[in-house]
Amino acid sequence: MTVKGTQVHSTDAKHWLPAAAIALAFLLAGTATAATLAQPTDASGQRLTEQYMPVAMPPGFQVRVSPLEGPVFADAQGRTLYIWPNRVLRNGYAGETQGNIACRDEVKRVSAGLMSPYPAGLLLPELDTRPSCTDLWVPVAAPEGAKAVGKWSALERGNGQWQWAYDEQALYTSVLDKQPGDALGGTTRRSGGDSPAIRVPSGPPSLVPPGFRVKTTTLGRMLTTDKNFSVYAFDKDTSERSACDEQCSRTWTPVVAPMTARAQGEWNFIERSPGVRQWTFRGRPLYTYVLEVQNWRMQGSDVPGWHNVFTQVAPSPPAEFTVQDTLAGQVLADARGRTIYVYTCGDDSADQLSCEHPTDTQVYRLAMCGGGEWRKCLEFWPYVEAGANTASQNELWTVVSIDPRTGRFAQPDTEGAVNVWAYRDRPVYTYGLDQAPGDVHGAGTGEWRGQRNGLKAFWVRDDFFGGIL
Amino acid sequence: MTILHRCVALALGVLALGTSSVGLAESEALAPRAGVIGYAMTNLFWSVYQTADGKSECPQGFNDGPREQYDKLWPGQRQRTVLDTHLQMEIETWHPSTEPDPLPFHEVAGKLSYGLNLDGKVDGDDFTHPDGTAGIDNQVYRAVGCIIGFRGPDGVEVIFQDKAIADAVYNRTMIEISGVDDLRNDEDVTVTFYRGQDRLLTDATGNKIMAGGSQRIDTRWGRKLIQQTRGRIVAGVLTTEPLAEVIIPWMNLGVPTFQLVRDLQLQLNLTAEHADGLVAGYADVETYYRQLIRNDSTHHLSNGQISGVSLYKSLRRLADAYPDAEGNNTAISTALDAKFTQVFIQHPEGEQAKQALLSEVARQADERRAARSTLPAKAGSPAAR
Repeated sequence: MTVKGTQVHSTDAKHWLPAAAIALAFLLAGTATAATLAQPTDASGQRLTEQYMPVAMPPGFQVRVSPLEGPVFADAQGRTLYIWPNRVLRNGYAGETQGNIACRDEVKRVSAGLMSPYPAGLLLPELDTRPSCTDLWVPVAAPEGAKAVGKWSALERGNGQWQWAYDEQALYTSVLDKQPGDALGGTTRRSGGDSPAIRVPSGPPSLVPPGFRVKTTTLGRMLTTDKNFSVYAFDKDTSERSACDEQCSRTWTPVVAPMTARAQGEWNFIERSPGVRQWTFRGRPLYTYVLEVQNWRMQGSDVPGWHNVFTQVAPSPPAEFTVQDTLAGQVLADARGRTIYVYTCGDDSADQLSCEHPTDTQVYRLAMCGGGEWRKCLEFWPYVEAGANTASQNELWTVVSIDPRTGRFAQPDTEGAVNVWAYRDRPVYTYGLDQAPGDVHGAGTGEWRGQRNGLKAFWVRDDFFGGIL
Repeated sequence: MTILHRCVALALGVLALGTSSVGLAESEALAPRAGVIGYAMTNLFWSVYQTADGKSECPQGFNDGPREQYDKLWPGQRQRTVLDTHLQMEIETWHPSTEPDPLPFHEVAGKLSYGLNLDGKVDGDDFTHPDGTAGIDNQVYRAVGCIIGFRGPDGVEVIFQDKAIADAVYNRTMIEISGVDDLRNDEDVTVTFYRGQDRLLTDATGNKIMAGGSQRIDTRWGRKLIQQTRGRIVAGVLTTEPLAEVIIPWMNLGVPTFQLVRDLQLQLNLTAEHADGLVAGYADVETYYRQLIRNDSTHHLSNGQISGVSLYKSLRRLADAYPDAEGNNTAISTALDAKFTQVFIQHPEGEQAKQALLSEVARQADERRAARSTLPAKAGSPAAR
């Protein structure tokens, strides 16, 4: 078969790469230097990305591998395709169920009351400029009479318009995506139960055997078991044999492949003992850590020689940023050790429109960060300034010019504009009441524990929360 | 205590722990193995003295929460905006002030409260313990005692906080008492605070926490939580010397918050399987409030009729210790009902590593103690006044 998403194709995965190349291609993640993980490369130095299952697609569509999200569907121009999954909120539902379209060109004027305790029917902010759902989420048009291809099908929007859907979820592009490969409109990173009904990139399944999953984290696409426990690899192992002996295997449980399992792509086995096969990924045997008591913990990486496993690494934060230990794991911090925070916002309309991007209404953010006063916002939640001549780090960490009085992107002639660091095109902040490196006093500030109209710390290691990275 | 005494106590202690405290004669020593016993916290909540109908402590009734206050602030069916209502309420919650409350807020008017006499004085704003002890310092109770969410057994805060303490490993506060000759009486014991990193041992239902579990000390993230104090045990009750500042990890619903308690003391009834009683001291007001509102959204507060806006004003008004440069008190006296269950506390790297850690912690405790004995009481502390 042909495996997508790497630089190498093969029909015989067992002999797909020499052991040395596999060793080079293997991705190690030492969390103490979590902000500066090396990109995995193959023997020729090509950056490795996540492989995916090939799926049938209508003409004009493609799969691109997003640096943060992994493989995603894109249109002919490279624009990422998103779905709006239905989500149970406190007082009802928002999003789209399979086969149904809820994103329309009507401008919603009042709140939907989906999030207790505030009632429905309140006039939404900035109605004179408020967009409709389709102003921000452009339906992916399908020709009338479009034939289904694999899981792709066409849904009727009405008025003679048709829209492509994948697995019966209507597909959209985001007006925030400017360059091919951008995925700024939404993320598959886990969001808490009371966060907005967000849009997420749609893509083909990851090429992982049954029993494994890949999770989008701030560090990259992390490999876990299907029970969401971290998977580890050991420095002393090779693609041919495990160095984890009987004593070692009391602490590190080999991930055993069933007899029916077959090698595929970057996945293979070693035979630990007669009849017992252990999964390998990119040439390294895989384990779980028996002392890990919670999903997505990364405790095993504290043990010398042991590492979490990623299918691909997220682009690095700015070089001057640091990683700090807290009472609850590690956070990304600025050069002085002050914890980095990201603002998250979705409104309480039926459209669940974002209010977290500089092009969105700033009414919610200003209320939360400064009680409606922009100067107080700068005092409590200062931007992380990047310096006048600092260049963007990569596609994920960019330098943007902000008008601090409005919170919106500055124009070239805007007086008082500041260059600030942005993550996914959204400015990041520090918290004025954090006094020392490792303080996370601002984490969870805002509505619904910072999950909507609030600020969350930028965690790079999650040992306590069960999946917040 | 002589070596002979210790050997006898140790032998009896092994026997005692091998069985149960039940059935032991009062005269028998109850000594844990090697003079050490550990406990993990399973319940922690602000101590509230309450009568069945609440009328004696809350004669004006219970307080309104955000839902009730919203209806009073913005009555009727008039068309309103998100900015003027919803966001205004959130602004006041996240940017609280000490301005007078435009809405009524009922503080406890009764005379009785649980807690300790933290400052050794009997003042006008003190409570009397139900057992008759005067001078009880517990102004947090005065602030929260008429809020139904803080009243047991089914107040939303009581339920959620207790569940969080037991469920979340982040909250795994532990104490270890060492140098114990007899769990009933010992003039000089050492109490070490740690955080554990394991789930609690339960019965097969998962609901009842059992004694006898093991906990690894969290030396990775929780090193700064480890500290030591001295205590004594009289008639089975452990009382500790105050610790200047204790951080109690307290995450509820996934936000990594904590409580900062100054001059923290323990008063716990000890058995071989449990330690139940009070954690008392002065809670830092800003930390108290932020812990509450960061963990509980306005929705959760509404379910317990807890107005963060009104409670903040009350906490600041009733704060009774540690004044800042402007003379405003920054801490408030409090007592928390605490329950612990016996656990075996182990260092992840073995006993030798544990002893090295304890030596370092003991040295730090001695240094702090020496510094306190040579310096005047910290400005603003109740002892200084």
